[in-house]
Amino acid sequence: MTLAAFPATFGRVRGLRASFEDFGQMLLFGLDALRWAVRPPFRPELILAQMAAIGVGSAFIVSTTAVFSGMVLALQGNYALRQFAAEGYVGGSVAISLVRELGPVLTALMVIGRSGSAIATEIGTMRVTEQIDAMETMAVNPVHYLVVPRLLASLVVYPLLTMIFDVLGYFGAWVMGIFVAAIPEGPFIEHTRTFVDPPDILHGLGKSIIFGGVVAVITCWRGFAASGGARGVGEGTTRAVVMSCIAILVVDYAFTLVSVGSGR
Amino acid sequence: MIEVQGLWKAFGDNQVLRGIDLRVEAGTTFVVLGSSGSGKTVLMKHVIGLLRPDRGTVRVDGIEIPTLSGKTLTEARRMFGMVFQGAALFDSMTVLENVAFPLHERQRSLPAAELRRRVVAKLKVVDLGEEVLDLFPAQLSGGMRKRVSLARALIHEPRVVLYDEPTTGLDPITTAYVDDMIVAAKKRLGVTSMVISHDIASAFKVADRLAVLYDGRIAAQGTPEEVRRSGDPFVQRFLALWFEKQ
Repeated sequence: MTLAAFPATFGRVRGLRASFEDFGQMLLFGLDALRWAVRPPFRPELILAQMAAIGVGSAFIVSTTAVFSGMVLALQGNYALRQFAAEGYVGGSVAISLVRELGPVLTALMVIGRSGSAIATEIGTMRVTEQIDAMETMAVNPVHYLVVPRLLASLVVYPLLTMIFDVLGYFGAWVMGIFVAAIPEGPFIEHTRTFVDPPDILHGLGKSIIFGGVVAVITCWRGFAASGGARGVGEGTTRAVVMSCIAILVVDYAFTLVSVGSGR
Repeated sequence: MIEVQGLWKAFGDNQVLRGIDLRVEAGTTFVVLGSSGSGKTVLMKHVIGLLRPDRGTVRVDGIEIPTLSGKTLTEARRMFGMVFQGAALFDSMTVLENVAFPLHERQRSLPAAELRRRVVAKLKVVDLGEEVLDLFPAQLSGGMRKRVSLARALIHEPRVVLYDEPTTGLDPITTAYVDDMIVAAKKRLGVTSMVISHDIASAFKVADRLAVLYDGRIAAQGTPEEVRRSGDPFVQRFLALWFEKQ
């Protein structure tokens, strides 16, 4: 390495160190939120309000995504399986894809875009306008008041939205499969029963609970870490969305690897 | 009573406070005067425990603030009320909810009617009527927001009220009104007040004692008259510019 390249390398190392520090602080922030979650006072009214904001607010976009994803999966499945005269398996293959993978992952990605960004913006704005400092001076812990309701609401709402996604996605596939692709309804339903067991559904719902917790911590943390006015809030929101999306894919891989193994 | 002793604070290479010593007697108003970036807000954040000093300490009514954390710090903060520079009202709450917030969080069993009665009484102290109760902060003028912020700071009857630049960005009439409000809060409620400001006219109007902060140090401290007669070159220049403007 030449001497001229040293400042750039040093800058990169410093940036990497800052990223690790930020990640560590976010983990501690998440642990702090879990610690506060079991302490009184409990604020059911705030949890319900957050469930409405995250859940009801995202229900339309999740439902739309579910129906269209199911329809596309049915058409693609039919296109591939018809070549082997196996189109009766479309219902089962779509259902297993939805409940184990696509339901939890696509639901989480949609909710990040719809509600995760709103959480990061709202908390970020509160940070830069000193509303969070004000809360602290009033002897109210901001993690307890702002983060815990969002975390608990996410843990409940993500699996509920995933169930909606699974049902509507399968409905979309059924409509396309039966009425457009003309797949016989008997094998379509029968193979779904054969392919999908309760553990598959629980696998998907378990994932969605973890996704809810991860997204809540990341989006709240990026709001808390915002600084420097409107621009800082905007940057925090962008980072919250990008980090959450990547985290979902990484956690999905890790969860799947741990729960089903490598298949060797 | 607030006592600050040998307070030092740096952020990275930036040394903001360099050994601050001051004392605010109970029931009096103390103004910390200084230009932007002199460390005034950093000093105030140490008093309420939002920042920890590198060296030195802050005692409020005998409680050593920097040694507190978690629950003990939360308990200690109950004796404070704070008015922020930008009012820092919660955007998503109405005036009623904003002012009631500290009280509701302390006494969650308090009935809504009693909460409302106390909020209305505190709004009256700052000359606001019931018609503002259901308004959101975005619907209020700058002066009204400051007044609501003061009502919120006073609702739980704190022993100490901290004001961070209370007159910044206000027109002269509203500024005079806010000054009167600070004096009235001290007289009516007997609170100890600490005001951070760069507004010299307001400082001389509300202060029992004041300190001029320059480059992280106290350049002069005393009654308004003693500070006016200070021989410190920065204080003389700082005050002269203002007197010339008048």
